[in-house]
Amino acid sequence: MNNLLSTYASNISKIVLFAVASLLFTLSATAQASENSPATLAIKLELKQQQGEYHPPYVAAWLENSDRKPVRTLLLWRKEPKWLKDIRRWWRNVGRKDAALVDAITSATHAAGTFPLSFKATDDQQQSLPVGDYTLYIEVVREKGGRALLKQAFKIDNNTHKFTLNETAETGEITFTVTP
Amino acid sequence: MNIKKSLLFCLAVAISGQASAHSRWLLPSHFTLSSEQGEWIAVDASASNEVFNVDKALSIDGMSILTPSGKKARPSSSYKAHRKSVADYFIGDSGTYKITNNASASYFSSYKVADKRQRARVNKAELKAMAPANATNLQTTYGLTRVETYITMNNPTENYGTDGQFLELLPKTHPAEIVENEPATFTFTYHGKAQAGVEVEIAPDGARYRNTPNVMKLTTDKNGEITFTPAQAGRYLLIAEYEQEAKNKALADKEQGGVFLTFEAQLQ
Repeated sequence: MNNLLSTYASNISKIVLFAVASLLFTLSATAQASENSPATLAIKLELKQQQGEYHPPYVAAWLENSDRKPVRTLLLWRKEPKWLKDIRRWWRNVGRKDAALVDAITSATHAAGTFPLSFKATDDQQQSLPVGDYTLYIEVVREKGGRALLKQAFKIDNNTHKFTLNETAETGEITFTVTP
Repeated sequence: MNIKKSLLFCLAVAISGQASAHSRWLLPSHFTLSSEQGEWIAVDASASNEVFNVDKALSIDGMSILTPSGKKARPSSSYKAHRKSVADYFIGDSGTYKITNNASASYFSSYKVADKRQRARVNKAELKAMAPANATNLQTTYGLTRVETYITMNNPTENYGTDGQFLELLPKTHPAEIVENEPATFTFTYHGKAQAGVEVEIAPDGARYRNTPNVMKLTTDKNGEITFTPAQAGRYLLIAEYEQEAKNKALADKEQGGVFLTFEAQLQ
């Protein structure tokens, strides 16, 4: 009985080992094949405290490729559709051209604070962005307040890139890290 | 014709017939809208020398709204004050609306008697019959002036509604895609063909509060195009004119087309 049990256990552990081994093999094969595993984009976004009447800002962050074509909206913090036009550049270049995208990614606004955010570097169809030059845009607009448009050119390649975006009237220092 | 009506008539003639007269313009409350249910807009209509400061109300009886589906609509209500008219309209569909306040093509004549210039809304044959024997400098122009603007809700459409009559502005850069510090291009046609030599002025809003008007002056090239770069975001009035010899010399000496287009240059 004991014997039988241990044979059984050893069989199970063999199966598990095999499974783990094949999983590892698959993973490493993917990694090697892989310009395809997307880079990671980490953004530490700080929305500043403001004096007086305060409405949490509308925020959009998106990526444009080297042809200035928008390829991915990373985030959209907003209220009713009638205010989307106030996120001027994002609305002009991205939002108004793709109603389905807007519906898919919306989320509520947030009051001042620091937001550590992380995204996979994929396009709006969840396909890895190819190696190349891109620009990150962050647009922050407050009702009865100011507007800031930040942009940072970056590369997706096999290296890590770190950027610090200077503070504006609407945003504190923003860090942006691209990790392959 | 009561006094008020005749004054208005004189004003209309004066405004339409003269290059140096007041600019006519439509000013919508919004050029760009985002909405799922639709939005109300208001449009001011006035004639003035200071761009977008109201002066003399334009009649908007002829205001027409070309919807994105190509239907013609009228304002849902309107009001005429002394210095401006206001039209209300509900923008219900996604796409680009063209709002026009055009008269139909007409004759404008003038003559001088004892150094005093007189005007009449008649053709050349009628002018000869009505002008006194001692009248000099008889001049008749046949033409059409367009007063127009575009409003876009959600995705822009190329809803330009051109009709091939006299001078027309055909946007090459969509009016909803004009951005500060980025070049924009418009094509001008005369009787449907690209027209070189059209004189164009583009005036930014707010001249009352500037020492220099900052008007851009351009002339269309051989393709009928102008390209300009708005230096700052804001509202602009474009004024274009083109004149040539009349085809039917019995009825007019000159033929003339004009366009007043109001547009916004957006923030980058």
